[in-house]
Amino acid sequence: MRFAITMLSFIGIASVIGTILKQNEPYENYIIKFGQFWFEFFEAMGLYNVYQAFWFLAILIFLILSTSFCVSRNSPKIIKEYKRFQLNAREKSLSSFKHSYKIPIKEFNINKLETFLLKNKFRFKQQFNNDGSVIISAKKGDFQKLGYIFTHLAIIIISIGGLMDGNLVLKMQELTGSKKIIYEDLALKDIPDSGKLTTSNFSYRAQMLLREGEKQSVAVLKAKEGYFIQDLPFVVGLNDFRIEHYSTGQPKSFESDLIVEDKKTGELVKKTINVNSPLSFNGVTIYQSSFEDGGSELSLDLWNLHSSDKPSPMKSVIFKENELFLDKKKYLFEFNDFRKFNILDIEIGNEKRPTNVGPSFIYKVRNESGQANEYQTYQFPMNIDDSSFFVSGMRKTPQEDYQYLKLPADANGQLDGFMIFKTLLNSPDKVSDAIEKVVTKSFPNGGEKSQIYFEGVKRVISEFIAGGYSQVAESIDSSVSVDNQKRIANSYIKIIFLLGQELIESYKINNPNNESFLFENNQKFVQESLTGFNDSFFYGLPIFLELKDYVHVQSSGLQLTKSPGQFWVYLGSILLVLGIFCMIYIQEVRLWVFKKKTNKDVLLAITTNRHRYEFDQFAKKITQQIRKILN
Amino acid sequence: MTLNKAFNYLFIIAMLVLPAIGLIKFHEYMDRYEMFILAGTGLTFILINKYWRSFGYIVSSTLILSFISIYLYQGILLTNEKQFFLKYFLSSQSAIMWMCSLYPLSLLMYWFYLFKKNSFLGNLASQLTWIATIMGFTGLLVRWYESYLISIDVGHIPVSNLYEVFVLFCLITALLHLYYEQKMNRKELGAFILIIISIAVGFILWYTFSKGADEIQPLVPALQSYWMKIHVPANFIGYGAFAIAAMISIAYLLADKGILKSRLPSLIILDDLTYKAIAIGFIFFTIATILGAVWAAEAWGGYWSWDPKETWALIVWLNYAGWLHLRLVKGLRGPMLAWWSVIGLLITTFAFLGVNLFLSGLHSYGEL
Repeated sequence: MRFAITMLSFIGIASVIGTILKQNEPYENYIIKFGQFWFEFFEAMGLYNVYQAFWFLAILIFLILSTSFCVSRNSPKIIKEYKRFQLNAREKSLSSFKHSYKIPIKEFNINKLETFLLKNKFRFKQQFNNDGSVIISAKKGDFQKLGYIFTHLAIIIISIGGLMDGNLVLKMQELTGSKKIIYEDLALKDIPDSGKLTTSNFSYRAQMLLREGEKQSVAVLKAKEGYFIQDLPFVVGLNDFRIEHYSTGQPKSFESDLIVEDKKTGELVKKTINVNSPLSFNGVTIYQSSFEDGGSELSLDLWNLHSSDKPSPMKSVIFKENELFLDKKKYLFEFNDFRKFNILDIEIGNEKRPTNVGPSFIYKVRNESGQANEYQTYQFPMNIDDSSFFVSGMRKTPQEDYQYLKLPADANGQLDGFMIFKTLLNSPDKVSDAIEKVVTKSFPNGGEKSQIYFEGVKRVISEFIAGGYSQVAESIDSSVSVDNQKRIANSYIKIIFLLGQELIESYKINNPNNESFLFENNQKFVQESLTGFNDSFFYGLPIFLELKDYVHVQSSGLQLTKSPGQFWVYLGSILLVLGIFCMIYIQEVRLWVFKKKTNKDVLLAITTNRHRYEFDQFAKKITQQIRKILN
Repeated sequence: MTLNKAFNYLFIIAMLVLPAIGLIKFHEYMDRYEMFILAGTGLTFILINKYWRSFGYIVSSTLILSFISIYLYQGILLTNEKQFFLKYFLSSQSAIMWMCSLYPLSLLMYWFYLFKKNSFLGNLASQLTWIATIMGFTGLLVRWYESYLISIDVGHIPVSNLYEVFVLFCLITALLHLYYEQKMNRKELGAFILIIISIAVGFILWYTFSKGADEIQPLVPALQSYWMKIHVPANFIGYGAFAIAAMISIAYLLADKGILKSRLPSLIILDDLTYKAIAIGFIFFTIATILGAVWAAEAWGGYWSWDPKETWALIVWLNYAGWLHLRLVKGLRGPMLAWWSVIGLLITTFAFLGVNLFLSGLHSYGEL
């Protein structure tokens, strides 16, 4: 008893540790958190997976054993007590009870008394003693005592059910060496038998990632830092995976259309599963648990941001790599994810609301030295501060936030306008024509001054085109006295802006059919394009990937559970509720009526094993009623 | 007397007819479990009303107010900004704000009563609690309706996030308190129980005004299940009852030290009430946890995943199991158990709130 309580307390404390220390994290995280020494110590203690640690399971088993012992020792007593009516009670012991009354009688009508007891749900027995005395022993609420057996039995059954669904057998096999965790990424055919679990495995909770259109007959069972391969008695095929969204863009449902085929009988089941409705098949239940990209195909346009080149198309697939040579340098593009829906807080009117901004794709670009930046590029322009931008985020490490490159959408809502603009900036003759026009506007009469101005503008512009505003600023820093820097910088910015406007105006005259720049006023667009052009120098990549089209392929994450203990856990749970109910709400009452042969009165005694203050009232009420009956 | 009887029959009829109308009118939006729950709710209310007559009045008042509110809405959500009664009384937000202002007021009255022993004050305190509770339940029911006005697929029972369950907690705790108050015919304990309710009200107000938590959000896929209608309320009957037990225990401990002793019920009564509250809380908490496990088996693929919320539910359960064990089997009474029940509330609070604040896991619906 005391032992069981200690064990339960241990389980409580261990459970708390399990909730505070995040379970089943990658081991590097623990090393970073605790340092090497404590990491190893905690690992030896099994603290990264408390609930399946040996000592935890051992406590559970001890608990089962000790509770079983308790029940087996006490149950016979309780059952005996249940059957027993204390008919051998004598006057002396009965009159010592708190509720013990002498009731005068006219005649001793046993039948009337017994009817009363029956009506009040008492069970009773009577006995005529040799000395002529009569005793009636009645009781009710025996189930209170049975509650003890129910609850304790329930705990045993639930624990056994839980152990059945644990991985005790697998742990034994690991201990004897017949099964070994696989730590490398292996193809299915290379998996050794020691890493495979057969379909006869008693219980498991395994994962399966299935691409649309794919079929699989094995699942992955995670263990520590590695895994086992769990063979299944059937083949699971995924026909389609769907995500539905609320109008605000939050996910509403995940659904997988599954076809499951039994390997032996060929029995075929089709079912759409979603988060709250799994599929049960041959003792295994298949749940919708997660989803990810399954290798979507992307059609991209590659725009070189720092030359006048036309875009070149590229096809790529998520989880695949593309190699590219840019300015004779090799870049490796690793495409990692495609997200069809992206919910961001976007300003609409005056308030920010979660809004779906459309598809994005995530990729890493690795240079020759192996360093990589991560990018997330959105397909469609987003509204930011009343303007519309194509947005692409860049970060150097996963811990950082993205830095965003924002390229303005043109009058058609396309990227073409900006790209035409950067092409113009990168065409030397177009630029010098425009400079000439800008200069002519300022100095309509020409002359020496205009020539100096012309040279100055040309230098500023070429600096801007080569490296953006910071390049211009550098040259100001090195050639202009501190007092004048601000004024000069402002005039340079103005010049760059005028040039931008001029480039677009001339382009419009030469290309009257192009609608990219059909703005009422192109000032804003020019300003944003110049900012975008400038920011592209910090983008870490000379090209911009524009997503033109995609074929969305998804993978559905399934969980496959074989849980033979579930039935027992549920059964135990029912028993538990029943037991608690009995223990709490049923009051055991014992009642005796004792009459000596000659007496003109009877002795009434009422008692209970758990004295509550309401019991006194109850006893008084019963006494009164009995008094009435016998009088 | 006859009026009471008439009301009683009317109530029974209403509890049979209203769910029936619901079933006839809206059956295509419900699965069979939800139909069962709807019908079962009517029957359960009839049953509760049989043992506790005032329950019928709470249900009826709440329903009448809710129907008025729904009528005033005319099916358009924005009506609550224009229509006078909706704006100031019967939109879910206003009704809940009424609840939030009336509970602290009744707390004040209960304390006045405790010192003055003036039956007018006692009745006033009690009545304020009744009204606050009716307003709160109306607020939740109307919120349920409002969620459907946002969009048919957003509509759901308002027990899905921290804001909503805090309101539920206040209401259920108050309901249990009113029950015991009426059965015992003593009004002193409101002064203690309303403290915990007022603290929860404080949280609701802070949560509403600093975080805008009162906004109705659509359900994540895992919560879209009829189980939510059973699991969450059952859990909160447990939490509410444990909270009451702890507050009565505080009264017990004070009286035991001689503080307010002459003004509070006897130690035996306080002790017995603590036991009753823990007993009913324990039964509901057990059932709620088991139903939670059954739901988890359906949604997450396992009846027990040692998720922090599950684990803490187990700890809470073990805690009160230990309490009951000592009391029932060992017959222990007195200050030790009272202290234990106070500490029990701290553990329960951590399971209810702390897990959401400090630990991450599958139950991450109610993050601050």
